[in-house]
Amino acid sequence: SSTDSHIQYERVGADVTMKCGSMDWDAAVTWTANGTDIDESHLNGSYLILKKVDLTQSGQYSCYEGSSWHLKYQTYLRVGTPPKEPVLMCRSNNYPKGFYCSWHLPTPTYIPNSFNISVIHGTREMVCERDVFPKNRCHIRYLQLFSTVKYKVTLTVTNALGKNSTSVTFDEFAIVKPDPPESVVAKPVPNNPRRLEVSWQNPSSWPDPESFPLKFFLRYRPLILDQWQHVELSDGTSHTITDAYAGKEYIIQVAAKDNDIGTWSDWSVAVHATPWTEEPKHLTTEAQVTETTSASTSSFMPPPTTKICDKGAVVGSGAVAVCWTAGLVLAAYGVLFI
Amino acid sequence: MAAADSPSAALRRHDLCTRGIRLAGKMRADVVDLLDTYVEQQGLDASVSVTAVEGVPAAAVERWDEQTGTQRLLENLAAYRAFRALLAQMLEEQQEQLGEADAALGPALAAVLLQVSAFAYHLEELLRLESRGPPSEEGAGPPPLSHLGLFERKLRGLGVLRELAQWAVRSARDLRQLAKPSLGSSSAPGPAESP
Repeated sequence: SSTDSHIQYERVGADVTMKCGSMDWDAAVTWTANGTDIDESHLNGSYLILKKVDLTQSGQYSCYEGSSWHLKYQTYLRVGTPPKEPVLMCRSNNYPKGFYCSWHLPTPTYIPNSFNISVIHGTREMVCERDVFPKNRCHIRYLQLFSTVKYKVTLTVTNALGKNSTSVTFDEFAIVKPDPPESVVAKPVPNNPRRLEVSWQNPSSWPDPESFPLKFFLRYRPLILDQWQHVELSDGTSHTITDAYAGKEYIIQVAAKDNDIGTWSDWSVAVHATPWTEEPKHLTTEAQVTETTSASTSSFMPPPTTKICDKGAVVGSGAVAVCWTAGLVLAAYGVLFI
Repeated sequence: MAAADSPSAALRRHDLCTRGIRLAGKMRADVVDLLDTYVEQQGLDASVSVTAVEGVPAAAVERWDEQTGTQRLLENLAAYRAFRALLAQMLEEQQEQLGEADAALGPALAAVLLQVSAFAYHLEELLRLESRGPPSEEGAGPPPLSHLGLFERKLRGLGVLRELAQWAVRSARDLRQLAKPSLGSSSAPGPAESP
Protein backbone atom coordinates (compact mmCIF):
# COMPACT_ATOMS: atom_id res chain seq x y z
CA SER A 1 0.00 0.00 0.00
CA SER A 2 1.08 3.61 -0.36
CA THR A 3 0.14 6.53 1.83
CA ASP A 4 -0.23 10.03 0.61
CA SER A 5 -0.71 12.59 3.37
CA HIS A 6 -4.33 12.74 2.30
CA ILE A 7 -5.08 9.55 0.41
CA GLN A 8 -4.30 5.99 1.36
CA TYR A 9 -4.78 3.13 -1.11
CA GLU A 10 -5.32 -0.40 0.11
CA ARG A 11 -6.15 -3.68 -1.60
CA VAL A 12 -9.52 -5.35 -1.20
CA GLY A 13 -9.15 -7.99 1.51
CA ALA A 14 -6.12 -6.41 3.16
CA ASP A 15 -5.83 -5.69 6.89
CA VAL A 16 -5.29 -1.97 7.49
CA THR A 17 -3.81 -0.32 10.58
CA MET A 18 -4.13 3.43 10.96
CA LYS A 19 -2.11 5.37 13.47
CA CYS A 20 -3.48 8.55 14.96
CA GLY A 21 -0.66 10.75 13.71
CA SER A 22 2.01 11.18 16.39
CA MET A 23 -0.25 10.18 19.30
CA ASP A 24 1.08 7.47 21.62
CA TRP A 25 -0.38 4.01 21.42
CA ASP A 26 -2.06 4.39 24.79
CA ALA A 27 -3.57 7.83 24.11
CA ALA A 28 -7.32 8.22 24.35
CA VAL A 29 -8.70 8.91 20.89
CA THR A 30 -11.87 8.74 18.91
CA TRP A 31 -11.93 7.59 15.30
CA THR A 32 -14.66 8.49 12.83
CA ALA A 33 -15.46 7.16 9.39
CA ASN A 34 -17.23 9.74 7.20
CA GLY A 35 -18.20 11.60 10.35
CA THR A 36 -19.62 8.61 12.19
CA ASP A 37 -17.89 7.38 15.36
CA ILE A 38 -16.19 4.03 15.04
CA ASP A 39 -16.83 1.49 17.74
CA GLU A 40 -13.95 0.88 20.17
CA SER A 41 -13.87 -2.80 19.25
CA HIS A 42 -11.99 -1.77 16.09
CA LEU A 43 -9.26 -0.10 18.11
CA ASN A 44 -6.01 -1.47 19.41
CA GLY A 45 -4.98 1.29 21.75
CA SER A 46 -5.12 4.40 19.61
CA TYR A 47 -4.64 2.44 16.38
CA LEU A 48 -7.58 1.76 14.16
CA ILE A 49 -7.63 -1.81 12.84
CA LEU A 50 -9.72 -2.62 9.79
CA LYS A 51 -9.65 -6.29 8.87
CA LYS A 52 -10.16 -7.56 5.31
CA VAL A 53 -11.29 -4.22 3.97
CA ASP A 54 -13.94 -4.11 1.26
CA LEU A 55 -15.02 -1.42 -1.17
CA THR A 56 -17.73 -0.08 1.16
CA GLN A 57 -15.06 0.93 3.63
CA SER A 58 -13.61 3.59 1.36
CA GLY A 59 -14.06 7.01 2.88
CA GLN A 60 -12.67 9.68 5.13
CA TYR A 61 -11.13 8.51 8.41
CA SER A 62 -10.41 11.03 11.16
CA CYS A 63 -8.81 10.69 14.57
CA TYR A 64 -9.58 13.08 17.43
CA GLU A 65 -7.81 13.48 20.73
CA GLY A 66 -9.99 12.12 23.52
CA SER A 67 -10.74 15.12 25.71
CA SER A 68 -10.01 18.11 23.48
CA TRP A 69 -11.48 16.78 20.27
CA HIS A 70 -8.60 18.19 18.37
CA LEU A 71 -8.22 16.61 14.98
CA LYS A 72 -4.96 14.74 15.08
CA TYR A 73 -5.00 12.79 11.87
CA GLN A 74 -7.11 12.50 8.75
CA THR A 75 -6.87 10.34 5.67
CA TYR A 76 -8.99 9.32 2.76
CA LEU A 77 -9.01 5.55 2.40
CA ARG A 78 -9.50 4.23 -1.15
CA VAL A 79 -9.98 0.49 -1.36
CA GLY A 80 -9.28 -1.04 -4.75
CA THR A 81 -7.35 -3.65 -6.71
CA PRO A 82 -4.19 -3.68 -8.79
CA PRO A 83 -4.95 -3.63 -12.53
CA LYS A 84 -5.57 -6.86 -14.46
CA GLU A 85 -4.08 -7.26 -17.92
CA PRO A 86 -5.69 -4.57 -20.09
CA VAL A 87 -7.46 -5.29 -23.39
CA LEU A 88 -5.85 -3.44 -26.31
CA MET A 89 -6.91 -3.19 -29.93
CA CYS A 90 -5.64 -1.13 -32.86
CA ARG A 91 -7.44 -0.32 -36.07
CA SER A 92 -7.13 1.85 -39.13
CA ASN A 93 -10.48 3.25 -40.27
CA ASN A 94 -8.84 6.17 -42.08
CA TYR A 95 -6.17 4.44 -44.18
CA PRO A 96 -3.70 5.62 -45.35
CA LYS A 97 -3.64 8.50 -42.88
CA GLY A 98 -3.02 6.51 -39.72
CA PHE A 99 -4.50 4.25 -37.10
CA TYR A 100 -5.78 4.38 -33.55
CA CYS A 101 -5.45 2.13 -30.54
CA SER A 102 -8.03 1.85 -27.81
CA TRP A 103 -8.05 -0.07 -24.57
CA HIS A 104 -9.96 -0.89 -21.44
CA LEU A 105 -9.57 -2.85 -18.24
CA PRO A 106 -11.50 -6.12 -18.03
CA THR A 107 -12.53 -5.38 -14.43
CA PRO A 108 -12.58 -2.02 -12.60
CA THR A 109 -9.92 -1.23 -10.01
CA TYR A 110 -12.05 1.37 -8.18
CA ILE A 111 -9.01 3.64 -7.87
CA PRO A 112 -7.39 5.98 -10.41
CA ASN A 113 -5.28 4.34 -13.16
CA SER A 114 -2.76 5.85 -15.51
CA PHE A 115 -1.99 4.43 -18.97
CA ASN A 116 1.20 4.61 -20.94
CA ILE A 117 1.33 3.51 -24.55
CA SER A 118 4.37 2.95 -26.75
CA VAL A 119 4.40 2.26 -30.48
CA ILE A 120 7.47 0.82 -32.14
CA HIS A 121 7.91 0.37 -35.88
CA GLY A 122 11.17 -1.49 -36.47
CA THR A 123 13.67 0.59 -34.55
CA ARG A 124 11.59 3.74 -34.63
CA GLU A 125 9.46 4.86 -31.71
CA MET A 126 6.30 6.65 -32.82
CA VAL A 127 4.17 9.17 -30.97
CA CYS A 128 0.60 8.17 -30.20
CA GLU A 129 -1.50 11.27 -29.54
CA ARG A 130 -3.86 10.73 -26.65
CA ASP A 131 -7.53 11.61 -26.78
CA VAL A 132 -8.87 13.74 -23.95
CA PHE A 133 -9.60 11.88 -20.68
CA PRO A 134 -11.63 9.77 -20.04
CA LYS A 135 -11.29 8.39 -23.58
CA ASN A 136 -8.84 5.51 -23.61
CA ARG A 137 -7.64 6.03 -27.15
CA CYS A 138 -4.70 7.44 -29.03
CA HIS A 139 -3.95 8.20 -32.67
CA ILE A 140 -0.88 7.67 -34.85
CA ARG A 141 -0.04 9.05 -38.24
CA TYR A 142 1.63 6.67 -40.65
CA LEU A 143 5.13 7.86 -41.49
CA GLN A 144 5.66 5.08 -44.02
CA LEU A 145 3.29 3.16 -46.22
CA PHE A 146 3.57 -0.34 -47.70
CA SER A 147 6.05 -1.44 -45.07
CA THR A 148 6.59 -5.13 -44.28
CA VAL A 149 7.97 -4.24 -40.87
CA LYS A 150 5.46 -4.96 -38.14
CA TYR A 151 4.18 -2.48 -35.56
CA LYS A 152 4.39 -3.32 -31.88
CA VAL A 153 2.12 -1.47 -29.46
CA THR A 154 2.62 -1.89 -25.73
CA LEU A 155 0.19 -0.58 -23.15
CA THR A 156 1.10 -0.33 -19.46
CA VAL A 157 -1.50 0.46 -16.84
CA THR A 158 -0.39 1.59 -13.39
CA ASN A 159 -2.18 2.45 -10.18
CA ALA A 160 -1.18 2.83 -6.55
CA LEU A 161 -1.50 -0.90 -5.96
CA GLY A 162 0.32 -2.35 -8.96
CA LYS A 163 0.83 -2.42 -12.69
CA ASN A 164 0.14 -4.60 -15.69
CA SER A 165 0.74 -4.48 -19.40
CA THR A 166 -0.09 -6.05 -22.74
CA SER A 167 1.24 -5.89 -26.31
CA VAL A 168 -0.10 -6.35 -29.80
CA THR A 169 1.95 -6.80 -32.96
CA PHE A 170 0.51 -6.34 -36.42
CA ASP A 171 1.15 -5.55 -40.08
CA GLU A 172 0.14 -2.25 -41.62
CA PHE A 173 -2.47 -3.96 -43.82
CA ALA A 174 -3.98 -6.28 -41.24
CA ILE A 175 -5.64 -3.64 -39.07
CA VAL A 176 -7.36 -1.77 -41.90
CA LYS A 177 -11.11 -1.87 -41.23
CA PRO A 178 -13.30 0.96 -42.53
CA ASP A 179 -16.32 2.32 -40.69
CA PRO A 180 -19.65 1.08 -42.06
CA PRO A 181 -21.19 2.83 -45.09
CA GLU A 182 -23.36 5.86 -44.30
CA SER A 183 -26.69 7.21 -45.40
CA VAL A 184 -28.03 3.88 -46.61
CA VAL A 185 -31.32 4.45 -48.41
CA ALA A 186 -33.64 1.83 -49.90
CA LYS A 187 -36.55 2.80 -52.12
CA PRO A 188 -39.17 0.94 -54.08
CA VAL A 189 -38.99 1.24 -57.87
CA PRO A 190 -42.29 2.48 -59.36
CA ASN A 191 -44.16 -0.13 -61.37
CA ASN A 192 -41.67 -2.81 -60.34
CA PRO A 193 -43.05 -5.08 -57.67
CA ARG A 194 -39.84 -7.08 -57.29
CA ARG A 195 -37.25 -4.34 -57.18
CA LEU A 196 -35.67 -2.21 -54.50
CA GLU A 197 -33.12 0.48 -55.22
CA VAL A 198 -30.41 0.73 -52.57
CA SER A 199 -27.84 3.51 -52.34
CA TRP A 200 -25.25 4.50 -49.75
CA GLN A 201 -22.19 6.63 -49.21
CA ASN A 202 -18.58 5.91 -48.36
CA PRO A 203 -17.92 6.30 -44.62
CA SER A 204 -16.91 9.91 -44.00
CA SER A 205 -13.87 8.78 -42.01
CA TRP A 206 -12.31 7.17 -45.14
CA PRO A 207 -10.11 9.99 -46.43
CA ASP A 208 -9.44 9.15 -50.09
CA PRO A 209 -11.92 6.75 -51.71
CA GLU A 210 -10.64 7.66 -55.16
CA SER A 211 -7.12 6.36 -54.61
CA PHE A 212 -8.17 3.79 -52.01
CA PRO A 213 -11.50 2.59 -53.31
CA LEU A 214 -13.82 0.53 -51.17
CA LYS A 215 -15.77 -2.49 -52.20
CA PHE A 216 -19.12 -3.34 -50.64
CA PHE A 217 -21.16 -6.24 -49.39
CA LEU A 218 -24.92 -5.92 -49.38
CA ARG A 219 -27.23 -8.23 -47.47
CA TYR A 220 -31.01 -8.25 -47.54
CA ARG A 221 -33.91 -10.43 -46.47
CA PRO A 222 -37.65 -10.10 -46.01
CA LEU A 223 -38.53 -9.55 -42.35
CA ILE A 224 -40.48 -12.79 -42.30
CA LEU A 225 -37.45 -14.93 -43.23
CA ASP A 226 -34.17 -15.57 -41.44
CA GLN A 227 -31.99 -16.30 -44.47
CA TRP A 228 -29.98 -13.39 -45.91
CA GLN A 229 -29.20 -12.87 -49.57
CA HIS A 230 -25.71 -11.49 -50.25
CA VAL A 231 -24.25 -9.43 -53.06
CA GLU A 232 -20.62 -8.32 -53.33
CA LEU A 233 -20.04 -5.15 -55.30
CA SER A 234 -16.60 -4.15 -56.48
CA ASP A 235 -17.49 -0.55 -57.25
CA GLY A 236 -20.30 1.94 -57.14
CA THR A 237 -22.42 2.99 -54.20
CA SER A 238 -25.77 1.72 -55.38
CA HIS A 239 -27.43 -1.52 -56.32
CA THR A 240 -30.86 -2.63 -57.48
CA ILE A 241 -32.29 -5.74 -55.88
CA THR A 242 -34.34 -7.50 -58.57
CA ASP A 243 -35.58 -10.61 -56.78
CA ALA A 244 -37.54 -9.17 -53.88
CA TYR A 245 -40.78 -10.89 -52.88
CA ALA A 246 -43.68 -8.70 -53.91
CA GLY A 247 -45.31 -6.79 -51.11
CA LYS A 248 -42.92 -7.95 -48.40
CA GLU A 249 -41.01 -5.58 -46.15
CA TYR A 250 -37.25 -5.99 -46.44
CA ILE A 251 -34.35 -5.29 -44.13
CA ILE A 252 -31.13 -4.22 -45.85
CA GLN A 253 -27.55 -3.60 -44.67
CA VAL A 254 -24.25 -2.75 -46.31
CA ALA A 255 -20.60 -3.31 -45.25
CA ALA A 256 -17.39 -1.91 -46.73
CA LYS A 257 -13.81 -3.07 -47.20
CA ASP A 258 -10.72 -1.61 -48.82
CA ASN A 259 -10.48 -3.10 -52.29
CA ASP A 260 -7.09 -4.71 -51.62
CA ILE A 261 -6.32 -5.03 -47.91
CA GLY A 262 -7.75 -5.40 -44.43
CA THR A 263 -11.12 -6.65 -43.21
CA TRP A 264 -14.80 -5.89 -43.67
CA SER A 265 -16.44 -3.13 -41.69
CA ASP A 266 -19.30 -3.78 -39.31
CA TRP A 267 -22.74 -3.79 -40.94
CA SER A 268 -24.35 -0.42 -41.51
CA VAL A 269 -27.50 0.69 -39.75
CA ALA A 270 -30.36 -1.43 -41.14
CA VAL A 271 -32.92 0.17 -43.44
CA HIS A 272 -36.37 -1.13 -44.24
CA ALA A 273 -38.25 -0.94 -47.52
CA THR A 274 -41.11 -2.61 -49.27
CA PRO A 275 -41.22 -3.04 -53.06
CA TRP A 276 -43.81 -1.07 -55.01
CA THR A 277 -47.27 -2.62 -55.11
CA GLU A 278 -50.22 -1.74 -57.33
CA GLU A 279 -52.87 0.56 -55.75
CA PRO A 280 -56.08 -1.35 -54.77
CA LYS A 281 -58.88 -0.76 -57.45
CA HIS A 282 -61.75 1.68 -56.61
CA LEU A 283 -64.59 -0.03 -54.72
CA THR A 284 -67.92 0.34 -56.58
CA THR A 285 -70.41 -1.71 -54.51
CA GLU A 286 -72.96 0.20 -52.36
CA ALA A 287 -71.51 -1.13 -49.19
CA GLN A 288 -68.21 0.67 -49.83
CA VAL A 289 -69.69 4.02 -50.96
CA THR A 290 -70.21 5.18 -47.38
CA GLU A 291 -66.53 4.56 -46.66
CA THR A 292 -65.35 6.81 -49.47
CA THR A 293 -67.70 9.71 -48.79
CA SER A 294 -65.73 11.13 -45.90
CA ALA A 295 -62.64 11.40 -48.12
CA SER A 296 -64.12 13.61 -50.83
CA THR A 297 -67.16 15.90 -50.67
CA SER A 298 -67.33 16.24 -54.43
CA SER A 299 -68.14 12.58 -54.78
CA PHE A 300 -70.53 12.62 -51.89
CA MET A 301 -73.63 10.62 -52.35
CA PRO A 302 -76.22 10.45 -49.63
CA PRO A 303 -76.46 6.93 -48.42
CA PRO A 304 -79.82 5.29 -49.00
CA THR A 305 -81.77 5.73 -45.79
CA THR A 306 -83.09 2.24 -46.11
CA LYS A 307 -79.54 0.98 -45.57
CA ILE A 308 -78.98 2.95 -42.41
CA CYS A 309 -82.39 2.32 -41.09
CA ASP A 310 -82.53 -1.32 -41.75
CA LYS A 311 -85.34 -2.41 -39.56
CA GLY A 312 -83.58 -5.54 -38.76
CA ALA A 313 -80.69 -3.61 -37.28
CA VAL A 314 -82.63 -1.05 -35.29
CA VAL A 315 -84.35 -1.91 -32.06
CA GLY A 316 -86.99 0.09 -30.23
CA SER A 317 -89.83 2.41 -31.36
CA GLY A 318 -87.84 5.62 -30.91
CA ALA A 319 -85.28 4.50 -33.45
CA VAL A 320 -87.65 4.95 -36.40
CA ALA A 321 -87.89 8.72 -35.83
CA VAL A 322 -84.10 8.95 -35.46
CA CYS A 323 -83.58 7.12 -38.71
CA TRP A 324 -85.95 9.35 -40.54
CA THR A 325 -84.25 12.47 -39.16
CA ALA A 326 -80.84 11.18 -40.10
CA GLY A 327 -82.04 10.55 -43.63
CA LEU A 328 -83.31 14.16 -43.95
CA VAL A 329 -80.05 15.62 -42.66
CA LEU A 330 -77.95 13.53 -45.02
CA ALA A 331 -80.16 14.44 -48.01
CA ALA A 332 -79.76 18.13 -47.10
CA TYR A 333 -75.98 17.71 -47.11
CA GLY A 334 -76.16 16.03 -50.46
CA VAL A 335 -78.04 19.02 -51.94
CA LEU A 336 -75.50 21.44 -50.50
CA PHE A 337 -72.50 19.82 -52.13
CA ILE A 338 -73.77 18.86 -55.57
CA MET B 1 4.51 10.04 -80.60
CA ALA B 2 1.57 11.95 -79.14
CA ALA B 3 2.36 14.85 -76.84
CA ALA B 4 2.12 13.96 -73.18
CA ASP B 5 -1.07 15.90 -72.54
CA SER B 6 -2.94 15.38 -75.81
CA PRO B 7 -6.40 13.83 -75.55
CA SER B 8 -5.28 10.58 -77.17
CA ALA B 9 -2.30 10.34 -74.83
CA ALA B 10 -4.55 10.98 -71.86
CA LEU B 11 -6.90 8.23 -73.01
CA ARG B 12 -4.00 5.84 -73.58
CA ARG B 13 -2.60 6.66 -70.12
CA HIS B 14 -5.99 6.06 -68.54
CA ASP B 15 -6.33 2.78 -70.40
CA LEU B 16 -2.82 1.65 -69.41
CA CYS B 17 -3.48 2.62 -65.79
CA THR B 18 -6.77 0.75 -65.66
CA ARG B 19 -5.24 -2.38 -67.15
CA GLY B 20 -2.19 -1.99 -64.96
CA ILE B 21 -4.37 -1.82 -61.85
CA ARG B 22 -6.05 -5.08 -62.87
CA LEU B 23 -2.66 -6.66 -63.58
CA ALA B 24 -1.36 -5.57 -60.19
CA GLY B 25 -4.45 -7.00 -58.48
CA LYS B 26 -4.07 -10.35 -60.21
CA MET B 27 -0.33 -10.36 -59.53
CA ARG B 28 -0.89 -9.73 -55.85
CA ALA B 29 -3.43 -12.54 -55.55
CA ASP B 30 -1.00 -14.92 -57.27
CA VAL B 31 1.95 -13.82 -55.11
CA VAL B 32 -0.10 -14.40 -51.96
CA ASP B 33 -0.91 -17.93 -53.18
CA LEU B 34 2.74 -18.42 -54.13
CA LEU B 35 3.78 -17.38 -50.62
CA ASP B 36 1.61 -20.13 -49.15
CA THR B 37 3.10 -22.70 -51.50
CA TYR B 38 6.64 -21.46 -50.87
CA VAL B 39 6.30 -21.56 -47.10
CA GLU B 40 4.93 -25.08 -47.25
CA GLN B 41 7.46 -26.43 -49.74
CA GLN B 42 10.40 -24.86 -47.95
CA GLY B 43 9.26 -26.05 -44.54
CA LEU B 44 9.14 -22.54 -43.11
CA ASP B 45 6.98 -21.02 -40.37
CA ALA B 46 4.71 -18.47 -42.06
CA SER B 47 5.13 -16.01 -39.19
CA VAL B 48 8.93 -15.96 -39.24
CA SER B 49 10.36 -12.44 -39.50
CA VAL B 50 12.77 -11.66 -42.25
CA THR B 51 14.99 -8.62 -41.88
CA ALA B 52 15.64 -6.39 -44.88
CA VAL B 53 17.10 -8.48 -47.67
CA GLU B 54 20.02 -7.23 -49.73
CA GLY B 55 19.13 -6.30 -53.27
CA VAL B 56 15.36 -6.49 -52.72
CA PRO B 57 13.61 -3.16 -53.37
CA ALA B 58 11.57 -2.18 -50.31
CA ALA B 59 8.02 -1.07 -51.01
CA ALA B 60 7.98 1.07 -47.86
CA VAL B 61 7.93 4.76 -48.69
CA GLU B 62 7.60 8.00 -46.75
CA ARG B 63 5.42 10.84 -48.01
CA TRP B 64 3.91 8.56 -50.63
CA ASP B 65 1.09 11.01 -51.27
CA GLU B 66 3.58 13.74 -52.27
CA GLN B 67 5.26 11.75 -55.06
CA THR B 68 4.92 12.93 -58.65
CA GLY B 69 3.56 10.63 -61.32
CA THR B 70 6.97 10.23 -62.91
CA GLN B 71 8.58 9.35 -59.58
CA ARG B 72 5.98 6.68 -59.05
CA LEU B 73 6.59 5.14 -62.46
CA LEU B 74 10.37 5.21 -62.12
CA GLU B 75 10.36 3.66 -58.65
CA ASN B 76 7.89 0.99 -59.72
CA LEU B 77 9.89 0.17 -62.85
CA ALA B 78 13.17 -0.12 -60.95
CA ALA B 79 11.46 -2.43 -58.45
CA TYR B 80 9.86 -4.76 -60.98
CA ARG B 81 13.05 -5.00 -63.02
CA ALA B 82 14.83 -6.06 -59.83
CA PHE B 83 12.08 -8.57 -59.01
CA ARG B 84 12.30 -9.99 -62.51
CA ALA B 85 15.98 -10.81 -61.92
CA LEU B 86 15.39 -12.02 -58.35
CA LEU B 87 12.56 -14.36 -59.35
CA ALA B 88 14.61 -15.72 -62.25
CA GLN B 89 17.37 -16.45 -59.74
CA MET B 90 14.91 -18.15 -57.37
CA LEU B 91 13.47 -20.21 -60.22
CA GLU B 92 16.91 -21.42 -61.22
CA GLU B 93 17.68 -22.38 -57.62
CA GLN B 94 14.37 -24.20 -57.32
CA GLN B 95 15.07 -26.24 -60.39
CA GLU B 96 18.52 -27.10 -59.05
CA GLN B 97 17.31 -27.99 -55.57
CA LEU B 98 14.06 -29.78 -56.17
CA GLY B 99 14.23 -30.67 -59.83
CA GLU B 100 11.56 -33.20 -60.68
CA ALA B 101 10.21 -33.24 -57.14
CA ASP B 102 8.95 -29.70 -57.59
CA ALA B 103 5.43 -30.04 -58.92
CA ALA B 104 3.89 -26.82 -57.66
CA LEU B 105 6.50 -24.27 -56.72
CA GLY B 106 8.42 -24.02 -59.99
CA PRO B 107 5.37 -23.41 -62.21
CA ALA B 108 3.92 -20.96 -59.68
CA LEU B 109 7.21 -19.03 -59.58
CA ALA B 110 7.37 -19.02 -63.37
CA ALA B 111 3.80 -17.70 -63.63
CA VAL B 112 4.54 -14.83 -61.25
CA LEU B 113 7.80 -14.08 -63.07
CA LEU B 114 5.81 -13.74 -66.28
CA GLN B 115 3.40 -11.31 -64.66
CA VAL B 116 6.25 -9.28 -63.18
CA SER B 117 7.85 -9.02 -66.65
CA ALA B 118 4.52 -8.00 -68.17
CA PHE B 119 4.00 -5.38 -65.51
CA ALA B 120 7.50 -3.99 -66.04
CA TYR B 121 6.74 -3.67 -69.74
CA HIS B 122 3.45 -1.96 -68.88
CA LEU B 123 5.34 0.59 -66.79
CA GLU B 124 7.80 1.18 -69.64
CA GLU B 125 4.83 1.97 -71.89
CA LEU B 126 3.48 4.45 -69.38
CA LEU B 127 6.87 6.13 -69.14
CA ARG B 128 7.07 6.40 -72.92
CA LEU B 129 3.77 8.29 -72.77
CA GLU B 130 5.35 10.72 -70.33
CA SER B 131 7.75 11.66 -73.14
CA ARG B 132 10.50 10.49 -70.86
CA GLY B 133 11.02 7.00 -72.04
CA PRO B 134 12.08 4.31 -69.62
CA PRO B 135 15.65 4.40 -68.31
CA SER B 136 17.99 1.75 -69.68
CA GLU B 137 18.36 -1.32 -67.54
CA GLU B 138 21.21 -1.31 -65.08
CA GLY B 139 23.88 -3.89 -65.80
CA ALA B 140 24.27 -5.46 -62.35
CA GLY B 141 21.89 -8.31 -61.65
CA PRO B 142 20.89 -9.48 -58.19
CA PRO B 143 23.75 -10.20 -55.76
CA PRO B 144 25.12 -13.74 -55.95
CA LEU B 145 23.97 -16.15 -53.26
CA SER B 146 26.93 -18.53 -53.15
CA HIS B 147 27.92 -17.41 -49.67
CA LEU B 148 24.48 -18.15 -48.23
CA GLY B 149 23.52 -21.46 -46.66
CA LEU B 150 20.40 -23.32 -47.73
CA PHE B 151 18.24 -22.03 -44.88
CA GLU B 152 19.36 -18.46 -45.44
CA ARG B 153 18.45 -18.76 -49.10
CA LYS B 154 14.99 -19.99 -48.16
CA LEU B 155 14.49 -17.00 -45.85
CA ARG B 156 15.76 -14.69 -48.54
CA GLY B 157 13.22 -16.13 -50.98
CA LEU B 158 10.49 -15.50 -48.41
CA GLY B 159 11.68 -11.90 -48.08
CA VAL B 160 11.57 -11.43 -51.86
CA LEU B 161 8.02 -12.71 -52.16
CA ARG B 162 6.72 -10.72 -49.19
CA GLU B 163 8.18 -7.53 -50.55
CA LEU B 164 6.73 -8.28 -53.99
CA ALA B 165 3.29 -8.70 -52.42
CA GLN B 166 3.63 -5.25 -50.84
CA TRP B 167 4.75 -3.77 -54.15
CA ALA B 168 1.72 -5.21 -55.94
CA VAL B 169 -0.56 -3.35 -53.52
CA ARG B 170 1.50 -0.17 -53.79
CA SER B 171 1.54 -0.32 -57.59
CA ALA B 172 -2.26 -0.46 -57.77
CA ARG B 173 -2.40 2.62 -55.55
CA ASP B 174 0.28 4.38 -57.59
CA LEU B 175 -1.58 3.72 -60.84
CA ARG B 176 -4.82 5.00 -59.34
CA GLN B 177 -3.03 8.22 -58.44
CA LEU B 178 -1.71 8.41 -62.00
CA ALA B 179 -5.16 7.82 -63.45
CA LYS B 180 -6.65 10.79 -61.58
CA PRO B 181 -7.66 13.30 -64.25
CA SER B 182 -6.64 16.37 -62.25
CA LEU B 183 -2.99 15.42 -62.02
CA GLY B 184 -0.38 15.99 -64.70
CA SER B 185 2.33 13.35 -64.87
CA SER B 186 5.17 15.57 -63.77
CA SER B 187 3.49 17.84 -61.26
CA ALA B 188 3.22 16.98 -57.62
CA PRO B 189 -0.32 17.03 -56.21
CA GLY B 190 -0.85 20.30 -54.32
CA PRO B 191 -2.78 20.28 -51.07
CA ALA B 192 -5.34 22.77 -52.38
CA GLU B 193 -5.91 20.96 -55.67
CA SER B 194 -9.44 19.77 -56.28
CA PRO B 195 -10.74 17.63 -59.17
